[in-house]
Amino acid sequence: MSIAVVGVNHRTAPLEVRERFAHAPRDVATSLERLRSAGAGGGVLLSTCNRTEFYIAEPAEAVPEAVWAILTERLGDGREASAYGYLQRDREAVRHLYRVSAGLDSMILGESQIQGQVREAWELSKAQAGPVLHRLFQTALSVGARVRSETALGTGAASAPSAAVALAGKIFGLLAGRTALILGAGDIAELAASCLASEGVRVTLVANRTYERAQAIAEQLGGAALTLDEAWDHFASADIVLSSTAAPHAVVTWERVAPAIGRRRGRPLCILDLAVPRDVEPAVGQLENVFLYDIDDLQAVAAHAAAERHREIPAAERIVSDEVERFWAWYGGLAVVPVLKEFRGQLDQVRAAELERVLKRLAHLSPQDRAEVEQFSHALLNKFLHPPTIALKQAVQAGHGYSLLESLKKLFGLDRQHGE
Amino acid sequence: MRVVLVPHLLALGLYGLATALALAPFAGLRPAPRALTLGLPLAGAAAQVVGVAQLTPVGVAPVLSILALFLALLQVVSERVFRAPAVAMFTGPLATGLVALALLLGLGPGDAPSAGGNAWFILHVTLSVLGLALLALAFITAALYLLQFRELKSKRFGAVFRLFPPLERLDRLNHVSLVAGFPTLTLGVLLAVGYAVRYAGGMHVDPAQVVWGSFTWVVLGSAVWVRVVRRWAGRRAAFASIAGFAAVLLVYLAFKLAAPGTQRFL
Repeated sequence: MSIAVVGVNHRTAPLEVRERFAHAPRDVATSLERLRSAGAGGGVLLSTCNRTEFYIAEPAEAVPEAVWAILTERLGDGREASAYGYLQRDREAVRHLYRVSAGLDSMILGESQIQGQVREAWELSKAQAGPVLHRLFQTALSVGARVRSETALGTGAASAPSAAVALAGKIFGLLAGRTALILGAGDIAELAASCLASEGVRVTLVANRTYERAQAIAEQLGGAALTLDEAWDHFASADIVLSSTAAPHAVVTWERVAPAIGRRRGRPLCILDLAVPRDVEPAVGQLENVFLYDIDDLQAVAAHAAAERHREIPAAERIVSDEVERFWAWYGGLAVVPVLKEFRGQLDQVRAAELERVLKRLAHLSPQDRAEVEQFSHALLNKFLHPPTIALKQAVQAGHGYSLLESLKKLFGLDRQHGE
Repeated sequence: MRVVLVPHLLALGLYGLATALALAPFAGLRPAPRALTLGLPLAGAAAQVVGVAQLTPVGVAPVLSILALFLALLQVVSERVFRAPAVAMFTGPLATGLVALALLLGLGPGDAPSAGGNAWFILHVTLSVLGLALLALAFITAALYLLQFRELKSKRFGAVFRLFPPLERLDRLNHVSLVAGFPTLTLGVLLAVGYAVRYAGGMHVDPAQVVWGSFTWVVLGSAVWVRVVRRWAGRRAAFASIAGFAAVLLVYLAFKLAAPGTQRFL
């Protein structure tokens, strides 16, 4: 019995490679079937933008090669996928998944999205997972939850978009129902607007130099489109202004927006300037109750949170190690039952054969005496088996039964019979 | 005497512990579980209720004790309802200090009010002290607001940014406590006037107290008026709250300096 993980992640492969390995949900079953055909006892595929990992139960020798073959086909340019990846077995494979689920292996340390992705991967692969991986993924999710509740690994805003949300949240508290005005209709503006919308912010207006582009984004976000020149007056009503135009100079100037901001009656206004060069004149930030943040500020918030999270790594790693040992104890227990059964069966066959041989020589014995001898052979076997059985069970409970089990299999030739 | 002292000493310990937990995150320690940050001041308040129930609410020490009790309860409400645990950074030490001061001044029975007016008198003290506690909370939330405002404006993302509640939540808590505190205190003072006329044979008040008391009431009333009628919010409203409570505090301290003694609260 064994568990392995074969795959690539953001540390071992560049984006250009990772995006080719990424599996759509409809492709997952096909790839896992190929692994089962290669001799895998079960498989789960975790495919996100930062990693493609196959978790395999009872991997035969050919299975890791089958994984690399699947991924190499996806590269499709003669390069070998194995050059970008890793293979980890047993405890290290379990530790790897637990670290992934806890966010310890994420590009942004402690991010929580991975927890949902692990759950999705497990649910998509349920038919092919088998009982060991089923248990492994179930426990991985609870390890992730435990790390998040017992450490501060997931606290704070450790990325620029989440820092934007955190800053707005520090001004308004709950963001649901707040209104946002978006200046610019580029990809960054669209991404940041989606982040705010996911927190319940209503994007009511999108302003852009090109009206048609503003209209396209506004339709996606459920707002109305404006030209930039029409936008200044709306600084009186919006709660959040998100600016990311491609203008080479500041477009949001004090002269343009100060009159509208003066009509806010002291209500705070959060301006998030994501453009480089900056869209908003620094003087605008000096206006009463205006909170102006640029991309450097967002990165400073993210850096603070990241530093806080880094301090939590040792505590999170301790939880992961505890849980790996707990899983391994369970896993060892799972393995011990069939091996002990086989061990006992094998010795019982020897006992029965020897008994038969002896009883042939003792034909003069009465049926009662023969029964006594047979009873004696059972008792003797049980006496012999008792100490190793107890020792093995205790070793499994202590979390180091697996190596003992392997020794037992080798000593008594159980490996060959199990075909493992 | 023991039935007063023991609950107060217990409350002192629990408030002290709650204060240490409230300040711990600022020392870089992990925030305590919510069950503890809510449970400790609640347990302290419960102990203090037992002690306060034995007191005659006359004199500085009993009033300080009741004020500490209300502050502890308002701390719990601020955290539970408004999710503003940072309030405890101020209310915690204040409640602890007030209980300690009450114990130092000597918690014992004072001059009992006239038998017929006992309920009236107790209601006067309760409402007046609750009003003061609410105004103190308004002052605290205004101070927290201004600190968080300064951090956000100057783009400092340290402990205050992380641990203080959002501006709008502080503003709402300030609004609620100020708007609730002013009429409560006013009603408490009116009950005192009624009590004096009905049971104490008329008002025996220094004219200076009337003048300065009225001045304080006008300053506080103005803070409420700009919030409710002029719809001030944010920084200006925070300054108004601070001015209102500062007026109450300064006038009280001036009176106590002019006429020292712990037998009467005012």
